[in-house]
Amino acid sequence: MKKTYNDEMHRIGRLSGITVIAFIFLIPTVVCLYFDIFPPITALLKGIAMVCMIYIPISIAEVLTYAPLLGSSASYLVFVTGNLTNLKIPCAKMAMEQCDVKSSTEEGDIIATISVAASSITTVVIVFIGMLLIKPIEPIITAPALQPAFNNILPALFGALGAYFIKKEWKLAIVPLVVIITISLIININGILGLFIPIMGGVSILASRIMYKKGWLNNVKG
Amino acid sequence: MDYLSVANSSLIYILGSILILFIVFQSFLFLFKAYKRGLQIGLTKEKMKIAIKSSITFSIVPSIPIVIALIAMVPKLGTPFPWIRLSIIGSFQYELIAAETGAKAMGLEGLNAVGLSPEAFANIMWVMSIGIVWGLLTCVLFLKKIEKGLNKQKKKDNLWLTILISSLFFGMISVFVGPVITTGGVPLLTMVSSAAIMLGISFITEKFKVKWLKNFALSFSMIIGMALAIFYNTML
Repeated sequence: MKKTYNDEMHRIGRLSGITVIAFIFLIPTVVCLYFDIFPPITALLKGIAMVCMIYIPISIAEVLTYAPLLGSSASYLVFVTGNLTNLKIPCAKMAMEQCDVKSSTEEGDIIATISVAASSITTVVIVFIGMLLIKPIEPIITAPALQPAFNNILPALFGALGAYFIKKEWKLAIVPLVVIITISLIININGILGLFIPIMGGVSILASRIMYKKGWLNNVKG
Repeated sequence: MDYLSVANSSLIYILGSILILFIVFQSFLFLFKAYKRGLQIGLTKEKMKIAIKSSITFSIVPSIPIVIALIAMVPKLGTPFPWIRLSIIGSFQYELIAAETGAKAMGLEGLNAVGLSPEAFANIMWVMSIGIVWGLLTCVLFLKKIEKGLNKQKKKDNLWLTILISSLFFGMISVFVGPVITTGGVPLLTMVSSAAIMLGISFITEKFKVKWLKNFALSFSMIIGMALAIFYNTML
């Protein structure tokens, strides 16, 4: 039987994923062997344990949050190239909107894959140019006059993205917005936003489920 | 041995180049496979080209803070390792936390401590590397299962699945919008401005059928919002 597109993407995704993981480990291994520097095993295990305690649950929650939105093949790619919330998710979501395709359809999966691939290549190229030209670029992009622009990139991005989609499906947006505004009035969550993404995803789904059961969401287009 | 001579060694540049070339290759491979399949199932070339163009345009500006993060990390960790780290999965916040953790585990006060040894640098490299593979590993191990679950749900109740996926998206949106509203100041003014510009552009594209503008609406709104942030900053 001929392999389907989806099977093939899973195969390539897994294969490339394993290759990247192996390579990520290979880099410190080779460096340690070549220079003959070995951190004390207790320090190593302590550091790994501390960082894994936080990032294993966050990473799993991230996959569960973003994989349904992007589809499988795009997910394999974004979890290699990173920058999900500040780049890939807004990028793919907007591309899907422009092309008039939906998540969890083959068309949606394809447009999301094309979008995150193009976005990944762009970022890799820019970071590479940035590294090569670090000396001439540094005074320009770290100029104090420009910092308000770069410090406010997320408000600018999510203001535009949010306005567009909240206007479209305000019923789905209202509960998570009210809940998060209430929370951030009580505590400062600015340093731990990443933690709140899966939590608010859960709150949002719960609210939608109740509204759906009541029959308020029958005209949602997605 | 000075740790920076290790951190800036050509060995790390070479290893990084191989990994990053692989990732570029992988991205092109996914792009071509998806494009080819798109043609088979009736997506037009125009549509897919729009997706490529608008994604490239959009990605330029949000990539600049990554370069700023690179500049910030280079004095501490050398050039090639931060370049590798910031070209692949992770984020500036993650990299900093992981690097601090790696340094602290060595009994140092943190990344800024004097007398960072080659061993401490090696420890930082390991901690930063191992901490970040879990999302990818989850994909490799469980993405097929997740997809199966979604397909099952799709057959059972497609409308609910659509709502569920949108709800996840709005959960994420709320996290980036809500705290800005309560903080106020320049971020809030910026957010409101780019929101207004976006809605204005959407109105124009729908009313006057300016199709090309729709494709760059998000980039335009974001960039004008950022430019206004500079203005608001001098006002407040």
